Amino acid sequence: MRSGLLVKLALLLAVFGILSSGITGYYAFTANRTMLVSAAQGDLLTAARGVNRRLQQAEEEAADDAMLLARLVQVAQVINGQGGSQMQRARDELAQAFAGMLALHPEYLQVRLIGAADNGLELVRVDSSGGLTLRVDGADLQEKGHFPYVFETLALPAGQIYQSAIGINHERAAHDAEGRPGMMVATPLPRSDGQPGGLLVINLDLERLLGQLRADLPKGYQLYMANRWGDFLVHPDPAQTFGFEQGRRILMQDSFAATQPLFERKLNNLALSGLEQPQQAAERVMAFVRQPVGLGNRDDFVVTGLVQPLDAVLESAVPLGQRIIHMVLAFSAIAILLAVVFARALLRPINTLAQAASSFSDTQLQQVLPVERNDEIGVLARNFDRMQRQINSHMASLYDNQRELSYLAHHDSLTGLANRALFFQRLEQLLQLSQRNGAPFAVLFVDLDHFKEVNDLHGHAIGDQVLQIVARRLLHTVRGSDMVARMGGDEYLILLQGNFTDAALAELMNKLRQSIGEAMTVSGQRLEVGASIGYSLYPRDGTTAEQLVNEADHAMYHVKAGMRGGEANSLSCR
Amino acid sequence: MAFNKISLLTGVIGCLLCCQLAVAKDVLRVLAWPGYADPDVVHAFEQRFQVSVEVTFVDSDEALWAKMHASSGPHFDVLAANTAEMQRYFAAGLLKPLDPALLPNTRRQLPRFRNLAAIPGLQQQGRLYAVPFTYSTMGIIYDRRQFPVPPDTMNVLWDPRYRHKVLDFNSGQHNFSFTALASGIGQPFRLSAAQQGMLVQRLIALRRNVLTFYSLPEEGTELFIRHKIALMFGNYGTQQLNSLRQAGADVGYAIPREGVLAWLDCWAMTAASSKPRLAQQWINYMLEPAVSALLPTRQGLANTLSASDELKPGAKVLWLQPVENAAQREALWQKIYSGDRPGSF
Repeated sequence: MRSGLLVKLALLLAVFGILSSGITGYYAFTANRTMLVSAAQGDLLTAARGVNRRLQQAEEEAADDAMLLARLVQVAQVINGQGGSQMQRARDELAQAFAGMLALHPEYLQVRLIGAADNGLELVRVDSSGGLTLRVDGADLQEKGHFPYVFETLALPAGQIYQSAIGINHERAAHDAEGRPGMMVATPLPRSDGQPGGLLVINLDLERLLGQLRADLPKGYQLYMANRWGDFLVHPDPAQTFGFEQGRRILMQDSFAATQPLFERKLNNLALSGLEQPQQAAERVMAFVRQPVGLGNRDDFVVTGLVQPLDAVLESAVPLGQRIIHMVLAFSAIAILLAVVFARALLRPINTLAQAASSFSDTQLQQVLPVERNDEIGVLARNFDRMQRQINSHMASLYDNQRELSYLAHHDSLTGLANRALFFQRLEQLLQLSQRNGAPFAVLFVDLDHFKEVNDLHGHAIGDQVLQIVARRLLHTVRGSDMVARMGGDEYLILLQGNFTDAALAELMNKLRQSIGEAMTVSGQRLEVGASIGYSLYPRDGTTAEQLVNEADHAMYHVKAGMRGGEANSLSCR
Repeated sequence: MAFNKISLLTGVIGCLLCCQLAVAKDVLRVLAWPGYADPDVVHAFEQRFQVSVEVTFVDSDEALWAKMHASSGPHFDVLAANTAEMQRYFAAGLLKPLDPALLPNTRRQLPRFRNLAAIPGLQQQGRLYAVPFTYSTMGIIYDRRQFPVPPDTMNVLWDPRYRHKVLDFNSGQHNFSFTALASGIGQPFRLSAAQQGMLVQRLIALRRNVLTFYSLPEEGTELFIRHKIALMFGNYGTQQLNSLRQAGADVGYAIPREGVLAWLDCWAMTAASSKPRLAQQWINYMLEPAVSALLPTRQGLANTLSASDELKPGAKVLWLQPVENAAQREALWQKIYSGDRPGSF
């Protein structure tokens, strides 16, 4: 029973300890993973913004270069179409300047001056060809008026910058630029009369820009980029890019459904992870940023995305997870140990109390209890101790009462002598004993003479005192081992153990009569009483208590009858 | 209790296995374009014929050709391709003739599509090889505010009154074909060298008259609205018309009197098919009114059963055919598109 409670308590405490350490460990682990993923998302977003910023920077640099070239005096000469030979010299000088610019910037594929007249005929053109600069001139110059970068730029006010969407360059004979993804950065060139005269355009190489960007990105990052319709421009698999060029739409929102709101212009950026959005970003962490391109009124943008495998992000969570498992196991073991120790410590005083209770119920002996404790067990022990004391005191008074009752039941209240019942009880015991060992004994019957007159003459109070004095005198006369009892009224019985001869008995009875007959002073009055005494002997006169008492009574009666009218109290002749 | 559950589960699995074995469903393998075999349509067919259908989608003629020539993987039973491609597939011996008796729904088709001889690519050596399913014309989309009367000729694209108000599609094949039509050439898909030379000059003239060339339908719509375009060669046909109207443009659709180029996608059965009856049941099912009706509502494409507002019954249609030399047309077009001047050809 007690060990059952110990096991239960220990189990409860152990389970509680294991659970709390397990749950703490689990939460620490998940919180760590969430933090890692959220940090990775932040990193990816920052990196994606960095990619966009770098692209924007490249575009701004190209724009600055275009503006710089546009301010050359030769540009105005060519645009305004002044003179033949002077014009040709201006073109040659421009070509040299363009070539210098190309040589300086490997990410530039073409630098051109395109006229507004003649369907957008190129006026000065320098291409990058196999990494070198190549001037294109004469019949090889082409009409470009139908390309958006031409007609859109011509429509702009002076000093503005046009920036095209990113696309594959399909202009044949564009040398290095042909078939490569890129964008055009252009600025309009007004004639001296204010009419559009042409434009200066620089062709930027996206692959070269991205190549530098990719090299700067942390390992394991995958770079994606899509135009405003979602067509992939950059994808780890080049076959997935510029699908629209072949009439196929390979869209970012199909591969990454979560990016749809970016293309609906509802969001500017987005970060997802396989931890929180397992359906949209299974096993990956990704961030997408929408970046406006070119002038604000064109509402063009690209979406740049960076994707990282979730495993790579969570890799650093693995050692911590293992450490947490070890810690949880260790704490669980400690919890079990502590639970056992604690349960035992908690149950020890309870066991003490239980033992005290069981020992008290067996022996009424009070054990040492932990009453000095200040806790609930101390209160219990003190209460239990008090209860024990109360029980003990109640028991003691109960025994006293019982003894008193028993005394009252066997003694005469007036004289303090044994009463008839106790006398017969002792007589029966003695009979049983004597029947076995044959020991003889005697019963004496004492009756006071003329006691009625004492009562009538002096009152009951005096009579009672006389009875008490007689009782004391009887007790003093017989041996300590003999029994003197009051039968009631003025009759007394005496039980004498031992083998008595009639002579010895006669002598004893004389002593008794003398003792009773001595004068006594009661309440200032001198009184004298006599007594008649009869006796019976066991086994001579009877073998039952009744017989023996009756025989003694009869003998006393004979004595009284013989003595009636006489002065002296004499022994019967029996 | 646990025993009961396990025995019940075993029973159910057993039953399923038995059913699977007893039926051993046929599998029909379909090679199609997105939107031609939507899951609900496929499911209804599977239910009706108690078969299983596997649909593989392709998004370009090249991808379709590659799938048909894949050495590994299962053989397809039916495919959807345009009339020009069908001629290629027939020439390569990849098609099996169809039995018109198994295709009763062809009787529901418009007269234009039942006149098999008028559509090259459907019949070969007097036998039926392909059944028309959906089509799109490449008419002229015009701004109704700039044209009180719809234009009725292709030559309006060259009209200097609309200089830089015209949009054309960036495609060598179609541009040569419709310029040939506009120039009164009867066989726009079979051009002679001389005709080609003449058309190059006309295309340069067109280049000088257009604002630009578009590729994507969205791009066309955006340019049309932003630059207040008057006319546009509608390469994407009625789909493009719908998207322009959704974008708020007040546009009309004209079929020029010289005729209109159009692609016509057909269903055909592969030579490798081992289930010709089931394959033809599929083709016949595709021509059911409830199935074909999904083309206009879901895809914005016309079907072959009901008349379309954009294509009047008498209008002249030139269904696309393989051209005399696609690579050559494309090379010439690249030069034109890049801005080469007339003298450099």
